[in-house]
Amino acid sequence: MGSVALREIRKSYGAVEVLHGIDLDVADGEFVVLVGPSGCGKSTLLRSLAGLETISGGEISIDGASIVHLPPKSRDIAMVFQNYALYPHMNVAENMGFALKMAKVSKPEIDAKVRKAAEILSLTPLLERYPKQLSGGQRQRVAMGRAIVRDPKVFLFDEPLSNLDAALRVQMRAEIKELHQRLGTTIVYVTHDQIEAMTMADKIVVMKDGHVEQIGAPLELYDCPANRFVAGFIGSPAMNFIPARVQNGQALLADGTALAPAPAGLAEGLAFVAGVRPEHLMVTEQGAAATVTLVEPTGAEIQFVVDLAGTSVLVSTRDRVNLRHGDRVSLAVEPGRLHAFDTETGQRLG
Amino acid sequence: MNQTSRPLYWLGLGLIGTIIAAYVLFPIFWLVLASFKTTGELASLPLTFWPKAPTIEAYTALFDANSQSSQLLRWPTLISNSFIVAVSSTILVLIFGTLAGYAFSRLHFPGRDLILGGLLISRMFQGAALLLPTYRLMNALNLQDSLIGLILLYSAFGLPFATWIIASSLREIPFELEESAIMDGASRLQSMVRIVLPLATPALITAAMWHFVGAWSEFAFASILMESADHKTVTIGLASFVELFTIEFNRVGAAATLVALPIMVVFFFGQRYFTRGLLAGAVKG
Repeated sequence: MGSVALREIRKSYGAVEVLHGIDLDVADGEFVVLVGPSGCGKSTLLRSLAGLETISGGEISIDGASIVHLPPKSRDIAMVFQNYALYPHMNVAENMGFALKMAKVSKPEIDAKVRKAAEILSLTPLLERYPKQLSGGQRQRVAMGRAIVRDPKVFLFDEPLSNLDAALRVQMRAEIKELHQRLGTTIVYVTHDQIEAMTMADKIVVMKDGHVEQIGAPLELYDCPANRFVAGFIGSPAMNFIPARVQNGQALLADGTALAPAPAGLAEGLAFVAGVRPEHLMVTEQGAAATVTLVEPTGAEIQFVVDLAGTSVLVSTRDRVNLRHGDRVSLAVEPGRLHAFDTETGQRLG
Repeated sequence: MNQTSRPLYWLGLGLIGTIIAAYVLFPIFWLVLASFKTTGELASLPLTFWPKAPTIEAYTALFDANSQSSQLLRWPTLISNSFIVAVSSTILVLIFGTLAGYAFSRLHFPGRDLILGGLLISRMFQGAALLLPTYRLMNALNLQDSLIGLILLYSAFGLPFATWIIASSLREIPFELEESAIMDGASRLQSMVRIVLPLATPALITAAMWHFVGAWSEFAFASILMESADHKTVTIGLASFVELFTIEFNRVGAAATLVALPIMVVFFFGQRYFTRGLLAGAVKG
């Protein structure tokens, strides 16, 4: 396995720069997820690491050795593509053995490695089948098997679950994570799905417009987002943002009601954007008054939308609250769960 | 459409199809049957449909070195020339059409789509309009009355359409497959040969069939360029034969059947690829 270091990675298409100097360290055996909205540059960064894109500037190294000038085949990296990219005219065994065949490995050795990978992924009964005869999940496993047989230093996954239905996605998510724990491989994984990122990653890299917004462990990003973008992107349902100002140590809303104690260190009178996750708002006896506008029970929890000082706010609770449109409720924020962001820059204030 | 009217719909379609097929195929069928009749039977009245006493006399006469027809037209040479020209130009068209089609489908260069469209425009010229300039060009290049000249000419004429068909087909093959092969250690050429081309087989077969049939049955250019008996092709031979042996219709039938045979064989084995190849790029998969 290998460690990866990206330094000041820049990528331009003509005059348009899409990666603006990305720095990232991936430790040996670490599972790193690049996450962000469409067009944020995550796939471009992954493809640059694979060698499928030529970078305009910067340095990429694996285990301390530069790979920038090496072609993809010499980088010792395997990649699982979004649509699996299985060769339709080859059966599963041939698909999995293709890279070894290209490397002129002997046939008995190819067979042995393919069989071993097939056992790991429960693909042994399917080795003679062609891709069109496989289900989505099986194709996904073959794509992973093709990467495993090469025993590369780094595995790259480019949105590998986006073509699967919701149930299969959950199953494959668990399988990939289990595979990582079993093989101890270094993985760089791209997704636009923050749930995938949260559930699978050791470390998440949140990207936007070719910049890294924040790097950290999943719960670190959830508990302490560096800016309003990360706060809104990580977590489902998304964080609520409410205009507020500091008065007497309290976060006061537009109508003058106090929502919660303001985070420490904020200057008196400062206007800021208060961030509260739906699950951190509680219905209480005393608190900020709000009017219910929509109720959505999901079974495990009840989500309801309220009008709080002119802002639409989502609340999520596991309590069996009996609410209807037009009801008045009092809301409070769990202690220490109020985030403050700069109204201009969106950076975290506390 | 409701369930009860569906069988009637298909029956009607089948009937129309049968009538059209019979209308188109009857002259060919008649020609083939005539080739197995004697001259006497063909001249007698009333006309017979099936041969009374089927014979391959007309076919053997074509290849009988002592027969009058063989002295005027050497069929083994004609067939061999046509075969060399059709097969060689098909191979050239496939090689260069594949490389050009790959470039048009995979590489980005200025004017790519314009040039690809221009290739089709070249197909819109009537062959007759090109006869004279082609004759003068081949003369100037000293390629007149030469099999190599005819091979190059047919290849040049066939290449645009083959390139178009192959490029359309290759555009449907996801580029990720090639990238995957490159990640697996293949070179660009290896990924093209091992991954892309096997998936483009229907288009390659279609392009090959299309060109082979066109080259095998081409008459106009061959007739003005090929002068010596050693270089003539089957279509010229057939035209001369019809003039020489009009009264011996069984021999004309045998010669025409023989000329049409390779085309029938090609279509028999390649028909299932033909529509798939022609429809490449027509619908989103």
